[in-house]
Amino acid sequence: MENCGRQIKQALKKKILRGIDIGGYVKERKIIFELLKRSIDNGESNSALLIGQRGSGKTTLVNNIIEELQNDISFEENCLLVRLNGLIHTDDKLALKSITIQMNLDNAVDGKVFGSFAENLAFLLACLKAGKKDISKSVIFILEEFDLFCAHHNQTLLYNLFDISQNAQTSVCVLGITCRLDVIELFEKRVKSRFSHRQIFIFMENNLDHRINCILNYLQISKNDTSLNKNVIKNWNNHLLVITEDKNFKNLMQRLLDIDLTERSLKTILISVVSQLSPQNPKLKVEMFQEQMKEFERDDTVAILGSLSALELCLLIAMKHHVEIYDNQAFNFEMIYTRYMKFVGANSNVQAVPRPVVMKAFEHIQNIELIAPCSNTTFKLQKDYQPFRLHLTSDQIMDAVKNVPHLPTELVQWANSSLV
Amino acid sequence: MDSILSELNATFPARKQQIAQLYNLFGQKNDLLVDAVYIFGCTSTGKTSLVRGLLEKVHVKHCIVNLVECYSTKVFLEKILNILAGHSIDPSNPCPYAKCENAMDFIEHLKKFSCSTGLDSVVFVLDKAENLRSMDHNLLPIFMSLRKLTGIEISTILISELPFEKFYGYAHYDPIKVFFPQYTKDELMEILARDYPYFKEVLAKDFPSVDFLSVDFFRAYLNVFLSVFYRTCRDLSELRHNARLNFVPYCDPIFQKNCNPNDSMALWRFIAPTLKSCLEVLYLRIANTTDTIRDDKQPLNLMSSKENLAQTLELPFYAKYLLIAAYLASYNSPKDDKRLFVKYHGKKRKSKRDMSQKNKVSEQLNTQLGPKAFNLDRLIAIFYSILDEKVGLTHNLLVQVTTLVELQLLLLVSENAGIDVYKYKCNVGYDFIENVSRMVGFNIRKYLITDFN
Repeated sequence: MENCGRQIKQALKKKILRGIDIGGYVKERKIIFELLKRSIDNGESNSALLIGQRGSGKTTLVNNIIEELQNDISFEENCLLVRLNGLIHTDDKLALKSITIQMNLDNAVDGKVFGSFAENLAFLLACLKAGKKDISKSVIFILEEFDLFCAHHNQTLLYNLFDISQNAQTSVCVLGITCRLDVIELFEKRVKSRFSHRQIFIFMENNLDHRINCILNYLQISKNDTSLNKNVIKNWNNHLLVITEDKNFKNLMQRLLDIDLTERSLKTILISVVSQLSPQNPKLKVEMFQEQMKEFERDDTVAILGSLSALELCLLIAMKHHVEIYDNQAFNFEMIYTRYMKFVGANSNVQAVPRPVVMKAFEHIQNIELIAPCSNTTFKLQKDYQPFRLHLTSDQIMDAVKNVPHLPTELVQWANSSLV
Repeated sequence: MDSILSELNATFPARKQQIAQLYNLFGQKNDLLVDAVYIFGCTSTGKTSLVRGLLEKVHVKHCIVNLVECYSTKVFLEKILNILAGHSIDPSNPCPYAKCENAMDFIEHLKKFSCSTGLDSVVFVLDKAENLRSMDHNLLPIFMSLRKLTGIEISTILISELPFEKFYGYAHYDPIKVFFPQYTKDELMEILARDYPYFKEVLAKDFPSVDFLSVDFFRAYLNVFLSVFYRTCRDLSELRHNARLNFVPYCDPIFQKNCNPNDSMALWRFIAPTLKSCLEVLYLRIANTTDTIRDDKQPLNLMSSKENLAQTLELPFYAKYLLIAAYLASYNSPKDDKRLFVKYHGKKRKSKRDMSQKNKVSEQLNTQLGPKAFNLDRLIAIFYSILDEKVGLTHNLLVQVTTLVELQLLLLVSENAGIDVYKYKCNVGYDFIENVSRMVGFNIRKYLITDFN
């Protein structure tokens, strides 16, 4: 039985973390698929951009398509896949090196000296030509984080790729993936004119039924996933259906959808829930989702505030009052210290703390970036007089004061009213 | 597997939820790993040690790197490769396992590793991850999706003190977050109480009989100790340091036969001043404290460091006066100079402006806004008027201004200009200048207008 639970858990983890199934995007998928297919089969040259928000599943979509293409036996023969990533290939030299490696041409290039970047790239492509035009392999370039390539010097790589895709000598397909909607604006003129201006936008679906389907997709187990007993699988899937029909569960998912459309946030929640499965609690429960949702919605800054000492909270409250009274003006340590000392003076049972210790507390607040120095201070200043700004809202401070147990009552009162 | 959990819970008290959460994600060997986990919480809440303990217990291959040590991309990436390869650096020939200048090389190396050694699942732990933000812009996103980029089962744990929102704009997505809350007072008590054997040993070293030292006695001490410190400091390592520092003085009266171990009120009376003075130097860790502890006969004399500095900094006589003059020039407005320093300045009529000056809110006072800049002429003028004796304006005197600037007691405000247009600011606080003026017998309060009275 325990073994069953483990197998289920592993199967689910695999589906959530490694799955390349996509629900939806049927139209977009078709366009890209045909585009790649045409350049593989007919040797057409093309360029396109796939644009969509982060976490909307662009890369998964492309991976999914490539996998299908690779199932075809002729794929290896007809085409070469080169994947570049703007994060890794931070300049054109690195990109070219990586292209060489991915094309398996290290030996051919070894020892050659090239006059220009274009020459080098042309040589690489020429190597692929086996005499006649129709036998030559087509090359598919997939450029992830495409916008980062636009920042390269002179956009040499992009210029050359698009240029080759324009003249039909070698068949090249360039597919850029990016999250920037304005990516076309980043092109230089000569690059822009060589680009085909084929842009494919993907938009995430804002629809609860679709979302529930997605969840079922991730959490249902089919026979292909494991070698488990049929009954176990059936039990699991039935139980899952009961959960997804639950009204609370639907509300939760609607709320998540209202906050964040991306599938990544959904996956984070699912994986946290699934990894909680254990022999002691082998079944999913709505409460588990509720708990994760709570964690998802938690304000981390308030949580951090709850870890501060009473002294540090005092200083934050003083800052809050200052910001409220002076309408978001900057403050320095001296002002906050004076305000704090006033509070201490008015309440006999609050222990006064020496100045260096208060300073240390102030610096700790600065270290965890709840306050930050104003940027316009170029000249040197004594630490005590350096102007700071508060990077918190007063609501967050009030929340923290409410949530921290065992705070002195004077402190809570002071937080509520600036009068001392 | 349950044994691992209970062992961890025993070593890391009050961390049950976090242990369970991390164990669920990394506990099973051969399980698929998530891309990235973000661990956050204040200092000394056991983040790094818990992660280290857990990963060692479950035998997952891991490398723990502190980003404070790795100040550049090259050092950082090479260090990870060194750890992965088990390559130790020979001091006489400090040569890394492999040269690695950028992320692309790094990823190639990882792929090579996985081919040659069958690297199948690794966890990279990046401590003080907030420093990644100031390094190359691509490092954080790359480390958060290494598995995707390399095709190897790699997971990254980021450890930081900041909430994840401070990473927005650097990272591309929100990883799974694990929060380590600060220990509550009771939990701190429990954790500190675990040090009981250590304290007993320390005490046994100095004193002949330690029979009275029971667990209850020790807890009573911690209670007293925390009642003083808890409000200002919840940092476990700092508290532990101070608890160790103060335990011997706490027990001292018992050995002096001044009081009885059960009389906690009397013990409190003896220890209270020591604890208070110790609170003043919290976090400062002044080096000579250990000496004073050893010297049992002397009471703890941990005066505030500022006073010490003012007394130990031996300035020449004129330099002291120059510093005082600088302070006066910084904190008084030039308009008041005549009234302060000229003997026969005539009567001052009260103007409307003065009245409004008096009603100024405290945040606009000079003491709150910091020192104002002044030029050399004004400094010298004030210097001559507060100094009783006559002294020539020689280069010896002027050199002392430069010395003060070099000591950072004065700040140069305008740079690269001729000596006539130099502007200065006084860079010392009131406590400091009061000490200095007391040493030369000068009453500084008399010369400061409004703010200090």
